Amino acid sequence: MTDADLLQRIARMLRQDIGPAVGAEYPRTQAFMAAVVLEKVGRHLGLASEHAAAEAADLTALLVDLGRLLEDENAPAPVCAALDSLARMRDSAGLCRLIEALYAARAALGEARFGDLLGRVRQTLRRSIDRRMAVAG
Amino acid sequence: MSVDRTEDLSPRIRDYLASRMPHARELAVGQIERIAVGWSHETWLFDLTWREGGEPRRQGLCLRRDPGNALLRHLSDLEMQYRVLVCLDSTPLPTPRPYWFERDTVILGAPFLVMERVPGVCPSPWGREGRAFYAAAAARGKLPASFTATLATLHTLDWRAAGLDFLGVPAAGAGFARREIAKWRELIAASEHPPEPILTDLIGWLEANAPSRARTTLVHGAYRTGNLLIHEDRISAVLDWELEVLGDPMYDVAYVLSDLNREGTPLLSNLVERDAFFLDYEAATGFTIDEEVCRYYNVLYAMRSAAFWMSASGLYATGQSDDLRLARTAWSVPVVLERAARDLGY
Repeated sequence: MTDADLLQRIARMLRQDIGPAVGAEYPRTQAFMAAVVLEKVGRHLGLASEHAAAEAADLTALLVDLGRLLEDENAPAPVCAALDSLARMRDSAGLCRLIEALYAARAALGEARFGDLLGRVRQTLRRSIDRRMAVAG
Repeated sequence: MSVDRTEDLSPRIRDYLASRMPHARELAVGQIERIAVGWSHETWLFDLTWREGGEPRRQGLCLRRDPGNALLRHLSDLEMQYRVLVCLDSTPLPTPRPYWFERDTVILGAPFLVMERVPGVCPSPWGREGRAFYAAAAARGKLPASFTATLATLHTLDWRAAGLDFLGVPAAGAGFARREIAKWRELIAASEHPPEPILTDLIGWLEANAPSRARTTLVHGAYRTGNLLIHEDRISAVLDWELEVLGDPMYDVAYVLSDLNREGTPLLSNLVERDAFFLDYEAATGFTIDEEVCRYYNVLYAMRSAAFWMSASGLYATGQSDDLRLARTAWSVPVVLERAARDLGY
């Protein structure tokens, strides 16, 4: 039995046997919530390594594409700096800083270029949230 | 001594009420029950019986206690709720009558307020039974009309005359939307949740598109079934005064129009037909519903929901709460972010 299967089994017991046997409203709700939490953790454990690899590959592709879109000399320096930082750190904080830099440089970039850059970032965000929804949804 | 168990709480409540009701004799607290509603404050219902002038008396009461781990953290203030209820008591809006607020934590281990237990039921719109309840009420027609009329009353009451200006009037123009964005940013920061790039994108969009408001009214902030007490097919009390502000009434209207608040039905808040809501609300208030502004506020609600769930799951993660409903909300964060991404067109 995998860890994920074990958690699913305990969750089923909480949902089907323990929860309904609890008379008072508050602890009964807690029993059902415990079942929900264990189901989600189980799903997360089952998908964790596949999702981590996909996240890393998507980030690499994003860095390559944004690097191309910003390789001219008119690219705003704060946006380039945020992209360099993201390439070093490869984390969600770095991605947030890049998005903030794009919004802050919107006027300098012009609407079309701002739209292209943010649109490319959003492709990555969409794939990432779809993976998280496989656990959360 | 623990004051979390009902058997420990009852005598303390009785002693407190005895000190507040000097003419009452033989006070007894009965049928005390903690109910699983609300995310910020514990809610306890009980019956108080006593004798006064030789006559037996009975009153249903509701006690809300702030254990200090409210979902809204520093933005939650039980005393503020009490003040709002005191102000609203003299208005036509149906609300529970507030009796006492107590900030002394020695009495029940935390600040609390005691208010009237208004007759009525408050079915959750998310469960099968609740959905059936609202579907049947929608078919009868009286409750949907009461839902809209009560919101119109809320938006047209004279908040200055009621003394509600202490809630703070937002700056002109886009001041209301910007103040809300700033408030939810604060809560997100307090939650210490890891950075979320979709949320950063969402906030960037919200700041760039903040609308001006046409008027200033009292705004409930969470006007929907589940926060409204219902008795004999009408709204007997508007509950959950935690998110109220002075601001744009379209903020409440957007919440009513949102499909967040209905499950498997085109009826707004599982209850009201959209066309009837527009017609009745506009006739009762004299306001025109601005759907474009409502769409903006719906996106703002995505930010607010993300802030709620980040705060809630953070309270559990840091051991400030043992309520497993809060633990579950860690998975509500991606759900609202996914919705926000769709709102922004991706």
